[in-house]
Amino acid sequence: MAQHAWFDRWRDPSEKTLGVLLLAPAFLLLALIVVYPIGKLIFNSFFDLRLSGGTGAKFVGLENYALVLADVDFWNATKNTVLITLITVPGALVVGLGLAMLANLPFKRQWPVRLALLLPWALPLSFAGLIFAWFFHTEYGVVNDVLRRLGAPEPTMWLLRPNWAFAAICGAIIWKTSSFMALILLAGLQMIPKSLYEAAEVDGASRWQQFVAITVPMLMPSIIVALIFRTITALQTFDIPYTMTKGGPGNSTETLAMLIHKTTIDYLDVGYGSTLAVCMFVMSMAITAVYLRRVGQSA
Amino acid sequence: MKLMDPRGLRFIAAAIVVLNGFFPALWILLTSLKTEAELVAKPISYLPHNPTLQNYVQAFTDQPLLRYLGNSAMVAVGSTVLSLFVAALAAYAIARLNLKRRQLILTCIVASSMFPLVTLLVPIFETMRTLGLLNTYTALIIPYTVLNLPVCTLVLVSFFHSIPKDLENAAMIDGCTRLGALWRVVLPLAAPGVFTAGILAFVNAWDEFLLALSLNSSASMRTVPVGITLYQGEFSFPWPIISAALIVAIVPIAVLIALFQERVVGGLTQGGLKG
Repeated sequence: MAQHAWFDRWRDPSEKTLGVLLLAPAFLLLALIVVYPIGKLIFNSFFDLRLSGGTGAKFVGLENYALVLADVDFWNATKNTVLITLITVPGALVVGLGLAMLANLPFKRQWPVRLALLLPWALPLSFAGLIFAWFFHTEYGVVNDVLRRLGAPEPTMWLLRPNWAFAAICGAIIWKTSSFMALILLAGLQMIPKSLYEAAEVDGASRWQQFVAITVPMLMPSIIVALIFRTITALQTFDIPYTMTKGGPGNSTETLAMLIHKTTIDYLDVGYGSTLAVCMFVMSMAITAVYLRRVGQSA
Repeated sequence: MKLMDPRGLRFIAAAIVVLNGFFPALWILLTSLKTEAELVAKPISYLPHNPTLQNYVQAFTDQPLLRYLGNSAMVAVGSTVLSLFVAALAAYAIARLNLKRRQLILTCIVASSMFPLVTLLVPIFETMRTLGLLNTYTALIIPYTVLNLPVCTLVLVSFFHSIPKDLENAAMIDGCTRLGALWRVVLPLAAPGVFTAGILAFVNAWDEFLLALSLNSSASMRTVPVGITLYQGEFSFPWPIISAALIVAIVPIAVLIALFQERVVGGLTQGGLKG
């Protein structure tokens, strides 16, 4: 009998048991890939731990953190990451808003426009990086070819000069990410009731006044969602600079993500790499938190 | 005063958007058809004069491109199926069960996607190394499943909400268990949602670069986004061949989004978390 009762319970468990059972796989995975690694990361950051040498982990306390704060490469990578975020997030917003407003016009056929917005989104970042590296090729790239036709006296060495390389990378990132912005903003635009514009038209409002007084405020929730996700991903920038310049020339385009990858995967210096990762983690969480709060107030 | 009739303006607007989206792929397509000699001729020609498919042959022989594509497919399909399964269970519990703190549970799952994956790279790498899973499909399938959990859960929760509860109750009165009702009634009705979430998960997994680069570095286990960067040598950049490989790798994903564009757009605006 006892077995029967157990079997019935298994076949038709109570709400709470069922809830635990259904949520268990998701939380097990989160524990394995998110929670445990965060703990492990913080733990490792207090050790001198290199997978390359035969020596085991040696407790060094806060020494790694002191090294990070004095590390020129760390500050260089931080500066690059923040700059990329400050340039490409607003850049993608402006371009994305432009694309969304163009795509929101009443076309007879919707699919070419929609596919044109989806393709850059679906493309792997590393593909975009390679394609733009080819665009910006000094000798045979299409960008320099167009500039030459427009009368530029000599070719720009895009990926071989720090500032130009940085600009080229930002351009590639803006192209790649603006279409995601556009898709989110387009959905927002389509939710704005036409009657608002009609009423404004009757009142004699100009196009620009309509844009400022109706489009922007009505679009704010979509803009905020898009900005938050874009900022979080921008702080993790890796693929495009890695495929376009590998961080070069020198380390002028190296981001924090690239520095962490190089330190741990290439040099197998897990202790120091973990410390770098903790610092990046804290910084990006702080930026995200401040951002969410600011955005929460303005919304 | 009208400068131009609205139809002309609309055409220009569409042309700008279409050009912006397709130009890079188009340029790569043109490059892939050029010979090396034509590529280095100056001024550069936009259209290939003697189109050749030789670059496509070399794309497959210079690097194991077919193997890369196969690896990407295995990893993307594997993690998509797994994340749909896990997310469906969790989403059902959140949408349907009478649980306290359901909002908190959903927030936990979604917030996990806010953590920068790069910073977790080191411990994930270490874990996979300890478990001897480096250079296996599993090493990528498990993190990708977690990566896709938030999107899938969000999309599925909203789909489960849209299914009338009465249908489920009716099934249970007819003798179905709760899980039976989930399997026989709710999931079939949520099929469009499952499908939408599946496409988003597939694209996310297909595109991922950093983990694939770090965890599966051996030649036979590389995925396409990583493998495709290896055509370039230290000093040589065989652009026509790279372009051909890119076109081959873009086609599957382009066909997928072309076929299901409306679903993808719907899913993205519902729970899209990818930049």
